[in-house]
Amino acid sequence: MNQVLTAAPLSHYVLLSSILFSIGVLGVLFRRNAIIIFMCIELMLNAVNLLLAAFSVHHSDPSGQVFVFFIMAVAAAEVAVGLAILIMIYRNTGSINIETLSNIRH
Amino acid sequence: MNALISLSVLGIVAMLSEIFNFKKFLYSLILLGLVAAIGVNVMEWGQFQLWYGMMIVDEFTLAFSGVILLTGFLWFLLVADNHQDKAHISDHFAISLFAMAGAIVMVSYNNLSMLFLGIEIVSISMYIMASTQKNDLGSNEAGFKYFLMGAFATGFILFGTALLYGATATFDIQKIGVFVTEHNSELPAIFYAGLILIMVGMAFKISAVPFHWWAPDVYTGSPTLITAFMATIVKTAAFAAFLRLFITCFSGVELFWNQTIMIMAGATILLGNITALLQNDFKRILAFSSVAHAGYMLLAVLAMNNQSGGSLLFYLLAYSISSLSAFAVLLAVANLKGNTNVQSFKGLAKKNPFLAFVVIVAMLSLAGIPPTAGFFAKYYIFTAAIANNYVGLTLVAITGSIVSIFYYFRIVIVMFEGDESTEVTVGSNTKALLVICSVLVILLGLMPDFLIGLLK
Amino acid sequence: MTQYFFYFLSFLAIFFAALVVLSKNPVHSVLYLILCFFSIAGHYILLNAQFLAAVHIIVYAGAIMVLFLFVLMLMNLNRDSEPPKSWQGKVAATLAAGLLLLVFTASIKGADALPSGNQPDNTVGLLTNLGKTLYNDFMLPFEVSSILFLVAMVGAVMIGKREEVSE
Repeated sequence: MNQVLTAAPLSHYVLLSSILFSIGVLGVLFRRNAIIIFMCIELMLNAVNLLLAAFSVHHSDPSGQVFVFFIMAVAAAEVAVGLAILIMIYRNTGSINIETLSNIRH
Repeated sequence: MNALISLSVLGIVAMLSEIFNFKKFLYSLILLGLVAAIGVNVMEWGQFQLWYGMMIVDEFTLAFSGVILLTGFLWFLLVADNHQDKAHISDHFAISLFAMAGAIVMVSYNNLSMLFLGIEIVSISMYIMASTQKNDLGSNEAGFKYFLMGAFATGFILFGTALLYGATATFDIQKIGVFVTEHNSELPAIFYAGLILIMVGMAFKISAVPFHWWAPDVYTGSPTLITAFMATIVKTAAFAAFLRLFITCFSGVELFWNQTIMIMAGATILLGNITALLQNDFKRILAFSSVAHAGYMLLAVLAMNNQSGGSLLFYLLAYSISSLSAFAVLLAVANLKGNTNVQSFKGLAKKNPFLAFVVIVAMLSLAGIPPTAGFFAKYYIFTAAIANNYVGLTLVAITGSIVSIFYYFRIVIVMFEGDESTEVTVGSNTKALLVICSVLVILLGLMPDFLIGLLK
Repeated sequence: MTQYFFYFLSFLAIFFAALVVLSKNPVHSVLYLILCFFSIAGHYILLNAQFLAAVHIIVYAGAIMVLFLFVLMLMNLNRDSEPPKSWQGKVAATLAAGLLLLVFTASIKGADALPSGNQPDNTVGLLTNLGKTLYNDFMLPFEVSSILFLVAMVGAVMIGKREEVSE
């Protein structure tokens, strides 16, 4: 085993991230409250961050952790825009249930 | 690189115009700036540069940047007559210019971090643009749906990127490509998992079946002007990114993914065209036809030979300019009639022969009938695919384009029915756009050799 | 010792993540997600990536989740207001996520044997190394991300603002 990963073998990190990512995907498909769906997407991104950090340590290569910074930056920007859209919708409809938002079909 | 810099500067100028009170000149300034950017882009032709190992400037980059800049210029011509929200106009201009800058990043990346940032710049701008009509529930819904699907797809792309990084220890796509060819037989399993995830995420972005269902709703709900942007510029960037990724990184493991993409392409073509047949709304027809066109363009990715780049370039340009002129006429008609139904085109040929002619040219091109650009676009893509032995898929694609003739021609037929129509007026900028697009479509149809020879 | 920490933190992370999806009250979901993020931060510390852990806490728990909580409170959604989903939808969602997990589990085979890209080095997660990489190799993405922030800033203000001039 590589001596830089002291706590657990790499495969356990991959498994942990995969489980977190799958829970995030499950939440996106399972729930109908827009804010919770959105939080599950954040969970997916965090699974990615953990995986990148583990690989970065495994490879002894800092670029993986730098990529995590970019993901965090983008996640913050995305949250700002997404919540603004949500508030706008709430103002117009008084609800953030995604089922009420299926009117486009002609 | 120069195109990226000029677009970012233009975007900042657009934001500053609010502070320094030169909003009046902003529009002409942007048009001039875009022309200058096209000029700079053309001047760079033939050079090869690598910027910090992150951005690559080669003929592929410059050709696709050219398409994006040209389409962007034409789109801005359309803005003049159809922009409704005068209060926020400089913000809208800034965001669309930044979106184009993101599109340039997407066609010129040499590192997965740049790909990610490019995708996100374009996507976030589009979430905003799609929901700009705050009081229209359809626009709200489109923005929100686009946002959720986009963020979800980004999650997949990122997880795939992380797995690729784990397998190869680099984000540089050329190094990944080298790694793949060197370790062809002993690639770790997580590499393949990463490939699948990136493929799924990108399929969301290019709206390929079975990840296409968000696209028609988003395209229909957004303001028509923004739909035109999404269907042309965003699509161009997404496909260029897709092709570059697969040619550079994954060409060594073609046998692993080509079956999946083949099924995806076939399903996209058939489903997109058949559902478009059932629609009564012109905007929705264009949305489904855009899904179907994504299927044809996947053939260029599958071809994986020296014709892929050229044929995809030709297809994207032909598709973008034809769609833009269709959207322009749709906007003019919808402004008058208040809806985008096919029936509102009734009698257009009697009162507006020019507009009718433009629609006919655009429809011929989208359906792929000579002597228009669309015919050669399909011809080149099909020959590229056949050169790599995708004969069955090409037959499916040809069937699809025959089906597409029915719904494209429905609009042409409606235009010649009835005569109770009132005259549709278009502004001078839109007129210029329509003339340029139609001339380009016919010119490309008559002399296709020049463009196809650019990328070998 | 650190191994036990790893499994304990992993258990916590998965447990809280599951609670985010399962809890009925949105505010509880937010709080569980914050706890989940704290356990992920613990993982970063175990990985010897202290700076990442600090940034993670500040950005996610400090900024993003507070924003979520703020919006939830603003909309007054701190109670169960979600209509139940049809059981077909639930089964389909569980199947899809399970299938995804299956693909992942199948793919971790051989992950331990992955060759390391560089010489083993325990200091990659330190601030000096990260800074050097960010401002040398990743200079251009760093600059490009400024465009992203401009877009998000302008867009969030434009969309979030209530229109004063009524039409």
